[in-house]
Amino acid sequence: MTATTSATPAGAPGDRAAALLEVRDLTVTFPTDRGPARVVHKLSYTVGHAETLAIIGESGSGKTVSSRAVMGLLPPAARVTGSIKLNGHELVGLREEEMRRHRGCDVAMVFQDPARSLNPTMKIGEQVTEAIRLQSRVPKRQARQQAVELLGRVRLPSPERRFHEYPHQLSGGMRQRVMIAIALAGSPKLLIADEATTALDVTTQAQIMDLLLDLQEQYQMGLVLISHDMGLAASYAQTVMVMYAGQAVERAPVAELFTSVRMPYTKVLLEAVPKLELPPHSPLPVVSLRAPDLTKTAPGCAFAPRCPRAADDCRTQDPLLQEHANQHAWACFHPEEPAGVAVLAETGGQLAQAVQESAVREVSQ
Amino acid sequence: MTVQAPEQPAQPGALPDAMVPPARTVSPLKAMLRRRDLDLWIPGVILGALLVGCFIVPLTGVVPDPMSSDLTQTLKAPFAPGHILGTDTIGRDTMSRVLYGGRTSIEVGVAVNVIGVVVGGLIGMFAGFRRGIVDSLIMRVLDVMLAFPALILTIVIATYLGPSMMNVIWAISFFSIPAYARLGRAVTLKLREQVYIDAARMSGRSDWAILRQHIAPNVFPQLATYSLLQVGIVVMIEATLSFLGAGEGPSQASWGTMIAAGQTYLSTNPAQVLVPSAFLFVTVVCLNLLGDGLRSRYGRGV
Amino acid sequence: MATTTATLEPGSPVSGAPDTGRSALRSSPALRMIGRRLLLAVPVVWGTTLLTFCLMNLLPGTAASALLGDSATPEEVTLLNHKLGLDQPFVTRYFDWLGHALQGDLGTSLASGQSVTGLVFQRLEVSAELIVLAFLIALAAAVLVATLAARRPGGVADWVSVTLSTVGLSVPPFVISLVLVLIFAVNLKLVPPLGYVHLGTNLGWNLRTLILPACSLALGIFAVLNRLLRADLIDQLRTEDYVTTARAKGASPWRVLLRHALRNSMFGLLTVAGMQIGVLLGTTVVVEQIFSVPGVGQQLMSAIQNEDVPVVEGIVLVIATITVLANLIADVLYAVLDPRIRHDSASS
Repeated sequence: MTATTSATPAGAPGDRAAALLEVRDLTVTFPTDRGPARVVHKLSYTVGHAETLAIIGESGSGKTVSSRAVMGLLPPAARVTGSIKLNGHELVGLREEEMRRHRGCDVAMVFQDPARSLNPTMKIGEQVTEAIRLQSRVPKRQARQQAVELLGRVRLPSPERRFHEYPHQLSGGMRQRVMIAIALAGSPKLLIADEATTALDVTTQAQIMDLLLDLQEQYQMGLVLISHDMGLAASYAQTVMVMYAGQAVERAPVAELFTSVRMPYTKVLLEAVPKLELPPHSPLPVVSLRAPDLTKTAPGCAFAPRCPRAADDCRTQDPLLQEHANQHAWACFHPEEPAGVAVLAETGGQLAQAVQESAVREVSQ
Repeated sequence: MTVQAPEQPAQPGALPDAMVPPARTVSPLKAMLRRRDLDLWIPGVILGALLVGCFIVPLTGVVPDPMSSDLTQTLKAPFAPGHILGTDTIGRDTMSRVLYGGRTSIEVGVAVNVIGVVVGGLIGMFAGFRRGIVDSLIMRVLDVMLAFPALILTIVIATYLGPSMMNVIWAISFFSIPAYARLGRAVTLKLREQVYIDAARMSGRSDWAILRQHIAPNVFPQLATYSLLQVGIVVMIEATLSFLGAGEGPSQASWGTMIAAGQTYLSTNPAQVLVPSAFLFVTVVCLNLLGDGLRSRYGRGV
Repeated sequence: MATTTATLEPGSPVSGAPDTGRSALRSSPALRMIGRRLLLAVPVVWGTTLLTFCLMNLLPGTAASALLGDSATPEEVTLLNHKLGLDQPFVTRYFDWLGHALQGDLGTSLASGQSVTGLVFQRLEVSAELIVLAFLIALAAAVLVATLAARRPGGVADWVSVTLSTVGLSVPPFVISLVLVLIFAVNLKLVPPLGYVHLGTNLGWNLRTLILPACSLALGIFAVLNRLLRADLIDQLRTEDYVTTARAKGASPWRVLLRHALRNSMFGLLTVAGMQIGVLLGTTVVVEQIFSVPGVGQQLMSAIQNEDVPVVEGIVLVIATITVLANLIADVLYAVLDPRIRHDSASS
């Protein structure tokens, strides 16, 4: 599932034999009062070295849980089956001490709410230094210097001063930079950004995203962007995977997805983005009913109750994710017709522009 | 319920509900007991047995008179013939003394809290409803009382008032009122917001009527729930007071006085101290567990 | 009696996240808060003196007639009343007493004629040592046990934690004292059952005579602190995002527990602990009696027996003032320690 990427000196990731991250049939179940909830179901995807994957879905789609599974940060009550291979190492079933060895140096995560993700009573510098010293046996003074450098690399203004400050003294954007610095302390090969910009204002969002992409290039990391925001995926990812009710329902290189969306759910996601071109007070399309109940595992497509194109076979058989042309995979019995240019116009100026821009970028490299 | 997609959830990327742990942390043992209401039944039954033992059994004449001393049978250890828990220094049966002593402790515990709930509740309701200067004044006074090292003053008061159960009750009540008053006020303040509108609609209703009909029925049950935990504390205080000699005279049976009397024989006949202590412990633990259990079910209120 | 060991001041903060609004002004919110609390403490302290005086003087049994007994002639009573100044109007007597107290003069003992202030502070030294010991034992034990319990909820340490806490909350200190004496002094003969050796005389014996009374005092406090800390630690480990971040960094569970969770709990814990000092002072009265420790508590009891009113008044006043001050300091300490209040939030 590798797409052409912007300049990578090593060549296209497709050249490498093994992918950086290989998730196969990942299933995560939680015990609840009403029975076990299948939060992630037979999820499979891969991420190559220096590749960017966006995982898009609503809350409850399992996107966060699946990435936490990669980090081994699920609560003890969770049941995980399947396979997660990071650089060939199997992560499922590892004991805590073993998993800890991978955290920070192989895979790292940036969380959503930096206000809560940083310890409020610890100085910034100390938290970054801690991250560094947890990854390598560096004496304190050296670690502090490295921490300041790292804070500079994430473009935190006045890093020496901020080093001695507390999280609440920084703005949201600055805090997120600190979180990124912490995540990079061990030079991870894979970075997962879980709704990393959701809590920030739009301008800061763009800055942070640009920073992430630059760092990805510097460190040659694989990057997984988790979000509910299609626009984000369009602007920054190479491959997009859409999740619904714990399953991957569509997966494609970004340009392909936006030009020929197939899964009705994905189409709904695209259409629901407010567009400036539409006249004011245009109603936004809504989806009927509510989010699926993850404790019910009846056969049939999980989206069927809300799908405008649902037919009988959708309700009785499970659609499987199948790859078709152009590395585009979908799990649907009655996918949308590829709309081509018309879809582009419909899905709005912003997205189209973003896709066109990235296409131009690719072509000119 | 229609959902707009993509949903903008309250917490984007929030973990599914299954991942968010319950707000209150309980040990697995507690959780198991709670599910079967055992955490209420076990202490409840034990307390019930105690109540029966203290109040009803003495009436049946099964146990000897706690006051009758038999000087031929002094300081017997437990399991002596005729005296299942032994006897004290002047031959009085320990078992009956323990049961009678329980009566004192429980009566004091209940009386103090009834006074506290009623008086404290009234004061709190009044302060909370009236607000303004009256409220501030009352709150300051309560603050002072709450800031006080109450135990010390209680000892002083009880001693000075003279040895009698009523005096002990008054002394302890005095310092239990502020807590109830505060709680009652807090509940009243919350209710007032809701009831106030009703009150406006029912123009012409006197304050008293509103208090009586709307606020009191909400305040007092909450205070009552809270009081269960307090009964245990009061029982302990009563025991401490009688231990120090502040309560009823040593001739009366009371757990505290029994323990005080047994002190001298701690090395030779520890049962004198241990038996009433055990009863005291069991009573208070059951009261606490019962209070805890009820509170977790019916909530703190405020 | 809600302020004895089992319950708390409503609203006392425990976890490291108080509800303080962050001031946008440049002036330090911490100082303002401290100032506010200090101001509020003044009427409370004053009210304390008033309450003490009222109770002491409005109770029957403190009048001269009671002191002299039934056989006193009316002339003797009047004479003593005048000598003690008891025939003055209440208000005059109050301000007179208060005025003297503010200068450090708490009157003279009826029994010995010595200055009450001198007597009290002499004994206070002993009680202070006992209380400090108890406080430290309770705090250290609570931190140790709660941390172990939080590390493995449901494990052995957790079981110990719950049991000890239950006992501490359900058994009055005098019973604990006697049980401890029974086990350690009578049966195991490790320490003397009562008595006291001064700190200056012999440190070893001093500790041996004080260890049992200190533990008796400590258990109740331990119960409160342990319960709170354990709950707070577990809560943090389960719900706080910075815990997840720490784990993601590769921190071991112990490190997360100690350097992140415990650190955040400490502020609240110290605040609550400070508020227990008042409770400790009260309990000391009982414990000193049992162990014959010549502290302020024992002095109070004998003064009550002897109806030595000035001494009783003096001791109650001193203890009440210390309690209020301890509560105040504990409250303020929170503001001083929490970095969120200490440093104003900067604008970006």
